[in-house]
Amino acid sequence: MSASWKQLSSQILLLLISCRHINTKTSSPTQPPLAPITPLKTDVRSIVLKGESHTEKMELVNPVNLTLECTWTGNQNKLPNITGYWRKDGEEIQNSRLSVQFHNGQYNIQQVFSIVSEENLGNYSCVFGNEAKISFILEAPQIGEERDKPIISYVGDSAVITCKMDDAKPMPNTWNWYRYNGTEKEQIFVAAEPHHYEIINKERKTRLVVHNLTEADSGLYYCGAVYAIGTTMSHVELKVITFMEPLKPFITIVVEVVVLVAAILLYERSQSKKKATAGDGTTADQKNMLPQGDDNATEGSSSMRQRKV
Amino acid sequence: MPPPAATNLGYTPPDGGWGWAVVFGAFISIGFSYAFPKSLTIYFKEIQEYFSVSYSEIAWVSSVMLASMYAGGPISSMLVNRYGSRPVVLVGGIMVCTGMVLASFGTSIIHLYLCVGVIGGFGLAFNLQPALTIIGTYFQAKRPLANGLAMTGSPVVLFTLAPLNQFLFDSFGWRGSFLILGSIVMNCCVAGALMRPVNKRVQPKPTNESPKRNGGGEEAETVNTGAQSADLLNEDSQTASKGQSNVHKLIDISLFKHRGFLIYLAGNVIMFFGFFAPVVFLAPYAKHLGIDEYSAAFLLSIFALVDMFIRPATGFIGNTKWVRPRIQYFFSFAVSYNGVCHLLCPLASGYLGLVVYAVFFGLAFGMLSALLFEVLMDLVGANRFSSAVGLVTIIECGPVLLGPPLSGALVDIFGDYKYMYYACGVFMLVPGIFFFIMHYYNYKKLDEEQRQSVAVEMKTSEETVELKMNQDDKTVDAADG
Repeated sequence: MSASWKQLSSQILLLLISCRHINTKTSSPTQPPLAPITPLKTDVRSIVLKGESHTEKMELVNPVNLTLECTWTGNQNKLPNITGYWRKDGEEIQNSRLSVQFHNGQYNIQQVFSIVSEENLGNYSCVFGNEAKISFILEAPQIGEERDKPIISYVGDSAVITCKMDDAKPMPNTWNWYRYNGTEKEQIFVAAEPHHYEIINKERKTRLVVHNLTEADSGLYYCGAVYAIGTTMSHVELKVITFMEPLKPFITIVVEVVVLVAAILLYERSQSKKKATAGDGTTADQKNMLPQGDDNATEGSSSMRQRKV
Repeated sequence: MPPPAATNLGYTPPDGGWGWAVVFGAFISIGFSYAFPKSLTIYFKEIQEYFSVSYSEIAWVSSVMLASMYAGGPISSMLVNRYGSRPVVLVGGIMVCTGMVLASFGTSIIHLYLCVGVIGGFGLAFNLQPALTIIGTYFQAKRPLANGLAMTGSPVVLFTLAPLNQFLFDSFGWRGSFLILGSIVMNCCVAGALMRPVNKRVQPKPTNESPKRNGGGEEAETVNTGAQSADLLNEDSQTASKGQSNVHKLIDISLFKHRGFLIYLAGNVIMFFGFFAPVVFLAPYAKHLGIDEYSAAFLLSIFALVDMFIRPATGFIGNTKWVRPRIQYFFSFAVSYNGVCHLLCPLASGYLGLVVYAVFFGLAFGMLSALLFEVLMDLVGANRFSSAVGLVTIIECGPVLLGPPLSGALVDIFGDYKYMYYACGVFMLVPGIFFFIMHYYNYKKLDEEQRQSVAVEMKTSEETVELKMNQDDKTVDAADG
C-alpha cells in the first residue's frame, strides 16, 4: 500500500511544483506528469491572530491538500498594504511574497500546501510584514508516553521494550523497531536473528523482546509508528548489567545485619554474666537469655521450671 | 492511675528500660509488615510488561502477600505462645529474605505468587504478631504510648521505602531490586534480636506468690488461693477457674466466649471493609477530579506525614489518666471519626478540599491504627493477647482482601467515586456507634464483676483468717493436751 502511495505522491508533487512554487527537496523534472489516480483529500485550517504570534499543532495521518489561512487584525499602524509571505522550517518559501490589503479590519493570507510525505511535514509560518506570525506545526501523531529512564536488565535474561500510541490518537499502520549502532538507526529484522529478537505488534502497542542478553545489547532502541504520511519515533535506552552489581549491596547489608544481631546478643550475654557474677544466683535466667540464632526452643524448655523464691 | 485490667501477669512489667529498645524493634517489625506489601507496587508495571500479564494478575501478588500475612496470624500466635517472640521474628525475617531472593530469579508470575506472596507473607506474619505481643509483656502503665510509638513504624517505613524502591528500580531493575530488598528486610532479624524475653523474676506485689510461667502462660496455678484473687480482677477470672487444656497452650479458643473479644471482633470485621479502600483510591480519585499525577501523589505524602505524627500523639493521649480507664470510648470515637471523614469527602472540591480531606483522614487513620491493638490488649489482657490477635487477623483476612475490590466495583458500576466514599463512611460509622453502645454496656458489666470479685475476695480472706485462727486454736489445744 505504501509503495503505490509513494509513486502517486511524487507525481502529484511534480504537478504542484509546476503550479505552486513550493520549495521541496524531491524535485524530479525528468518524469512525465501522470494523471492522479485518486485525488488527495483537502482540508482547511484557519487561524485568527490578535496578538503578535501564535502556534498551532496539527497531526496528520494521510496525505492531504492543506489550505492554511491566516487572518491578522493588525496593530496600531493599520497600514493599508503590507507584505506577507510563507516560511517552512525557518526558511522563506520562494515566490510566496504577496501584497496584502487591509480589508474589513483584517489582513488575510492563505496558501494551499500539498502534504504527501515526511519531507512535507514541518513548521509552516505565515508572516505579516515582520510583525506578526502564525506557525502551523504539521506532524504525524506523536507517541505520548516516552520512558525517560533506562530499562535495566541482566545478562542471560530477556528484556521487553514496549511502545504505545495514545488511545486518543489514530492507530498506526504498523510498527518498526530500530537500533542505534553509533552512527545511524538500523532497523531490526526478526527474520535475520529469530532467536535473538521477537516483535509483537498489536494495533496500538508494540513489544520488542530481546532474548539471551549480552552487554553488547545495551544502547538506544527506537520504535517507529508508521503512518501514510510518515513515521514517528520514540526511543528507550536498554542497559544490560551482570548479577554481580546488585549482589554487592546485598552482601553488604547481610553482613551489616549479622554484625548487628551478633552485637546485640553478645551485649545481652555480657549483661547477664555481669548479673550472675553480682550474685543473683539463678542460672535459669542465663539459659533464658541466650537464644542462639538456630535455637528456637529456649523458652519452651524453660516453661516448666518453677522458681524458688 | 490505670486500672488493674490485666495485672494478673504474675510480674511487674518494666514499663521502660530495655522496653524502649523492644519498642524500637517492634517499630521496625510492624513497619515492614505493613509497609512492605504496599511499597512493592512500584515494580508492578515493569513486571507486568515482562511477563505480559494483565494488571489484575500482577495485583494478586500484593493480595496474596496480604492474605498470607493475615492468615499466618494463628500459626504465628501458636509459635509465640510456645517459643516467645524473639525466635519467631528471627525466623520471619529470614523467611521474607528467602522469599524475595527466590523471587528475583523468578521465571513466571506463579513463581512470584509463591515466593513473594506466600513465603513473604508468612514471614511478615511472623514479624507482626510477636512484635505486638512483646509490647504487652514489657509495658503496662505506659502501654498505650508504647503501642502508639510502635505502630508509627508503618508510615515511617513506608515513607522511607517508597523513594528507596524507586531508586533501586532505576538502578537495578526489578530483579536486582528484589534481591536487595531481601537483604533490607533482614533487618527484621535485628529487630528480633532486640526482643529479649522479659525478665519475669522481678517480684510482683507481695500478695502474689504464685510460681511464674513464661510465654503465654496461663494462670492455672494461681487459682488455688483466695489471696491471689486480688489480681484477678478483670474478666479473665471467669475463665481462669476452668482447667487449662493442652490446646490452650497453643491457641486460646476460649476467647470466643469472651465478651470484649467478641465485641471487638464483630466491629472490626465490618470496619475493615471500609478501612483500606480510601487509602488505595485517594490518588485515583484525585486524578479523576483532574488533578495531575504529582499533586495526587503529594496528597498521599501529606496523608502519610500526618499519620506519622498522630500515632505517637494518640498513644500519649491514650495513656493519660482521663482516657486510659475508658480507652474503648476513645477507640470508638476514632472509628466513628473515620466514618464521618469519608462521608464528608465527596463535599471536598478542588485540590485544596482534597488536601484538607487528606489531613483529616491522616488524623483519623493514625488514631485508629495506634489504638487498634492497644484496645485488644486492654480487653483480653496481655496473656491472651497473642492468641487473640492471631484469631482476629485470620478473621479480618476476608474484609481486608474484599474491601478494595468491592470499592473498586462500586466505582466501576456508578462511574463516580462518591458512592464508594459513602459506602466506606457507613462501613466505619456503624461499627463506631456499635462500639460506643457495646462498650458502655461492657464497662458497666466489668464494674459489676469487679465489685463482685472484691466482695468474694473479702469473704474468702475472712474465711482463711478464720480457718487459720481455728488451726492455731487446735494446735494450741494439741500442745496443751
